[in-house]
Amino acid sequence: MTARLVVAEWTKLRTVPSTAWLALAVAASTVLLGALATASVDTSQCPSATECFEDTTKLALTGVWLSQSAVVVLATLTVTSEFGTRMIQTTFAVMPRRPAVMIAKAISVSIVVATAGAVGVLGSVAAGRIILPDNGFTIENGYEPLSFADGPTLRASAGTVLYLTLVALLSLGIGALIRDTAGAITVTLTVLYLFSIAAYLVSDPVWSDRLQTYSPMPAGLAVQATTNLDRLAVQPWAGIGVLAVYTGAAVAAGVAAVQLRDV
Amino acid sequence: MTTRLSDRATAEGRGRAGRVLLAEWTKFWSVPRWVMAMLAAIVLTVLMSVLSASGSGTDENAAIWDLYVPGPDGRPVQDSFHFVHQPASGDLTITAQVVSQEGRALDASTAEPEAGAMAGLVIKESTEAGSAYAAIVVTPGDGVRMDANFETVHTGSTEAAPRYLRLTRTGATITGFESADGTRWSEVGEVDVPELPDTIEVGMLVGSPDGVVVERQFGSTAVGQTSTISAAEFDNVSLEPGRTGFWRGNGIGLPGVGQFTEAQGRFTIAGSGDIAAYSGPGDDVVQLSLIGFIVGVVVVCAVGVLYVTTEYKHGMIRTSFTVSPQRGRVLATKAVVIAGVAFTVGLIAALISFQLGQPILRENGFAPPAFDTMSLSDPIVWRAITGSALLLALVAVLSLCIAVITRRSASAITLVIALTVLPLLAGFGLPAGPAGWLMRLTPAGGFALQRVVEPTEHLVDPVAMIAPLEGLVVLLAYAAGTLVLAGWLLNRRDA
Repeated sequence: MTARLVVAEWTKLRTVPSTAWLALAVAASTVLLGALATASVDTSQCPSATECFEDTTKLALTGVWLSQSAVVVLATLTVTSEFGTRMIQTTFAVMPRRPAVMIAKAISVSIVVATAGAVGVLGSVAAGRIILPDNGFTIENGYEPLSFADGPTLRASAGTVLYLTLVALLSLGIGALIRDTAGAITVTLTVLYLFSIAAYLVSDPVWSDRLQTYSPMPAGLAVQATTNLDRLAVQPWAGIGVLAVYTGAAVAAGVAAVQLRDV
Repeated sequence: MTTRLSDRATAEGRGRAGRVLLAEWTKFWSVPRWVMAMLAAIVLTVLMSVLSASGSGTDENAAIWDLYVPGPDGRPVQDSFHFVHQPASGDLTITAQVVSQEGRALDASTAEPEAGAMAGLVIKESTEAGSAYAAIVVTPGDGVRMDANFETVHTGSTEAAPRYLRLTRTGATITGFESADGTRWSEVGEVDVPELPDTIEVGMLVGSPDGVVVERQFGSTAVGQTSTISAAEFDNVSLEPGRTGFWRGNGIGLPGVGQFTEAQGRFTIAGSGDIAAYSGPGDDVVQLSLIGFIVGVVVVCAVGVLYVTTEYKHGMIRTSFTVSPQRGRVLATKAVVIAGVAFTVGLIAALISFQLGQPILRENGFAPPAFDTMSLSDPIVWRAITGSALLLALVAVLSLCIAVITRRSASAITLVIALTVLPLLAGFGLPAGPAGWLMRLTPAGGFALQRVVEPTEHLVDPVAMIAPLEGLVVLLAYAAGTLVLAGWLLNRRDA
């Protein structure tokens, strides 16, 4: 039964043209923005080439800042577009176990986002390998070429894919809670972006630290750090844990809302 | 007859335009959600502004008197240089040739003198730092200038050393001259320094302002300062009327680095430091009280998009275009309505945020003397407040037009937020150069409209890197460009 549900949701997702475009946007914007950010940094901006302490893996993966917005759209639409077109009434008439429907949606959207994210991360790391040595991040200056053989780089890359998947599920939960596309997307992007900006703008170090630790985007992206871990407000896995708590809460609230409300 | 016809046509046209405006305005205010959202935009903007003002603090005022001294009017000034001087009374003239200037950073080995390194002549109340003075100096980068009491009063030629300089004192009036050869003199200007007593200290000065070091480490940019030292050679020194007493060298102010040697009337003087009014750390107190606009922008964007996409969703747009077939006029009218509403929202939010935020910021250390007290009586504050309102209005128009282009709320909202909010975030992580360009190329630069302090690359805030006018131009270009594209597409596509 559950397998058929996933197949049904997968068919719905696959046959909407926007899904393919958004998945492509996720992968492409990850690579493109990552390459642009990497190209804009070189060792000549540092006191000396060996004193940059640049986290090159994190730099190469900067693209997720932008691509997560495409993830938000993709994941939100899987829920809200059904409410918008009243398709959800048919869906729930066929499958009265509403939480199961939500789980099937979560599974299918996770597969799409994780795949697109993985492609984007692979592309970003490849772009970083090519661009970084030209900008002075060479072996002589203490920078090994980006490689998945390096433990922290592998963790950062896999963590980035996980981050995008958690953002998708967060959007799904908020979408189920708000049901309106425009409202849900606005709220999700606000939660992700505005708290991060606030963390930079607040000059009080205690508050800045708190915002870095407890805001979903900066906390979740701590998983991208490979060096200078002692300077982080929150450690990589703990940070993605913070995001997972938000995601869990949003999904639980969304499922509960779908279960309790009329459609 | 013809006149009357065309008169009537114009009058009808005007009447129709008025009716379209009324219709579009009614469509806006009769949707309770949008009115609520706009009210929420005010509340959220003010709330976030107040919260971020509460979370901002500075100890600049506690540290200020460690590095600066009170000037003649009591305000903090930096007054440090190497002074080779002697006392003199009454009217006098001092002349010298600055033969050469060289400099370096104290900790590194760059032999380039700072562009602002100074060598010249000074008449000063006393050797105490912060006392009144008038000076004429030559610099490697900016040529010759005359300063008095920590302000530049006249600028001369753009020539660097070798240069002859002269100061003449007549009562309280000091006149500065410069010359290439010591025979043909041109006047740089004159200035009154009434604080000078009859007996003053007169002589040569050498200083070199701190160099600014912008360095990237640990993935972010830090701005630091490095002390520099400059050495200058003086020749043909003369002090009229007819006495050349014993020259003494003193380091004025901090750090007191410097020395001088004299051989056959030729002086070599090395000095460090600057003579300048305190310029503050560059934080923009007005902008700091208007931070909440990042929320306001997001809310206005959502409403601006929905104002169009809702009509597409419900097919209302077909009714609208049937009633007024001139689609361009409908679009323009919608733009006027949403811009007007957003401007009003922005004006109210900015006024309340400013009035609530300023006392909080002053309480948290953003107070005189390090920071000027800002109030609504300053015209520049009104520029930032109307600038904030304009920011919301233009973002609203941009959102409206992108919504017409995409006809989908999801993609339109995401595009606008990615263009206006994300660059702010990305700019923090990038080096100053690319961050500045990001602001010049995306509508996020519009946030510079909220600033009153000159643009600087010495703050990490990316918006601080461009001038308000540049921000306005880029935001206007986006709004106008998308308006034209949207108008063109509206006429080409089916509704």
